[in-house]
Amino acid sequence: MPDTYTDMDLGDADRQQRFDDLFAAFGSDVVAYCRWQSESPSDAQDAASEVFLTAWRRLDDVPAGDAARIWLYATARRVLANHRRSNRRRVALQDRLIVEAAASPDVGAPDQERELVHEALRRLGRRDREVLLLAEWEGLSPAEIGHVLGCLTVTARGRLHRARRRFRAAFEELSSVSAPQSARPLRRELRVREGGS
Amino acid sequence: MNTHASLEALHRANPRSGDDFDPSIEAVRARIERPGHGEVPPVRSRRPRRIAGTLAGVSVAAAAAVALVEFGTRAGGIENAAAAIRQAVALTAASAERSGAVHVRITHDDAAWAAKTLTWNGNDMSVADTWPGRGNEMRVVDGILYFPDPEADGWLRLGSPSGIDPDSGTTPAEYLAAVREDVGGTTLRRLTREVSGLTTRTLDDGSTVYSGRVAAGQVARETGFKEGEAIRVLPFGYVAHDEAADPASLLRVEITVDAAGVVRELAVSWGTWRYTVAYSGLGATPAPSVPPNVHGLKRHVGSD
Repeated sequence: MPDTYTDMDLGDADRQQRFDDLFAAFGSDVVAYCRWQSESPSDAQDAASEVFLTAWRRLDDVPAGDAARIWLYATARRVLANHRRSNRRRVALQDRLIVEAAASPDVGAPDQERELVHEALRRLGRRDREVLLLAEWEGLSPAEIGHVLGCLTVTARGRLHRARRRFRAAFEELSSVSAPQSARPLRRELRVREGGS
Repeated sequence: MNTHASLEALHRANPRSGDDFDPSIEAVRARIERPGHGEVPPVRSRRPRRIAGTLAGVSVAAAAAVALVEFGTRAGGIENAAAAIRQAVALTAASAERSGAVHVRITHDDAAWAAKTLTWNGNDMSVADTWPGRGNEMRVVDGILYFPDPEADGWLRLGSPSGIDPDSGTTPAEYLAAVREDVGGTTLRRLTREVSGLTTRTLDDGSTVYSGRVAAGQVARETGFKEGEAIRVLPFGYVAHDEAADPASLLRVEITVDAAGVVRELAVSWGTWRYTVAYSGLGATPAPSVPPNVHGLKRHVGSD
């Protein structure tokens, strides 16, 4: 019997309640994070499920309050890293995830703007993209990002500053090029490049 | 345009604003919640106390997996059966995160054809050919690859797997990466996601066997070309052939989930061939050790 089962507390309603509360409070955050870090919604759901399974198994290690959210992000990051390591042939596809994450035609941002945003994100390095989106999509502070990434706050702040600057530069460049055009050529160009990768 | 404007555009593109975001949360909730709370106690009562305790957390995937074992045998329970497999795979993958062992066996007309045993603990790993009379083994301990010395007693220390045979087809590093994919649950997830025609049967020991069909292309993945032909490789490194090499062929798959909700065996059959992967010691397998009587490759070459 795996050791992982032995620390389960038998019949503990409080434990269950805490887990349910955890999912109610942070389920959407974990799903969102896994969504933009995964290459497909299905993979994101696999990862998010695994994160909460880990949380259940290590419930005593999960900090109280909002710190639990940071713990879950860090766990999700490790789960996703394991997925990537175990499937490195698909790593190249990860770079498309930002494009695909919000590929639904019903998302809030206008199509063209969204295309530009995702193409600009695609032009960033993985590390820049991660720190930027932890801040701008997940709403984490530099200190919290430092916890998730396992680095100092000052390091996270520096990375975030550089990532914002690079994103702005990429976004501006794309905006100036595509201003008179529709979003469609950009999407087509993207697909051609993806098909060739 | 200033930074503020670009960030506002970024905020508007947050995937949370998509219509499909809330259903995603519900999908995850469905994966980790146990349906039919009232129907679970009979299942729990059949199990040893420690396992029953495992099931006590009613929101946990493990519980879902076991609970659904019974639902899957009922009419209309196929969706639950599929969910049960997914949960079992998630639990198995989580349990295999640290360590485990798999025993891979191929039979032809019921006669043994090939066998190997893989054990892993963290990044340490042993891949041993357990076919009688062969006894080859590859071992990775603390990032160092070891092979038995073909010309002398003892083992060769070959250094990092990533630095070996970079231009000679499948390298040890690639092989180990593929093994990690297989032991880490990715392969199981892929197969169970694609299984069709699902049926279930319960064994005397409380295990449940989920049977169905999966396209061979999902079982044996294309890994490269050899002499102009695409090579497809079964999980854990055996080259596929016959129907297994035809990605469109439907192969029969059986997934046995034990009473604790952990995948115990994966079996794939085609023609008179049967390929099985049996899992054991998940989370409880010790790390392979540095082999005895090790010498370096340089010394070995220098001694020739």
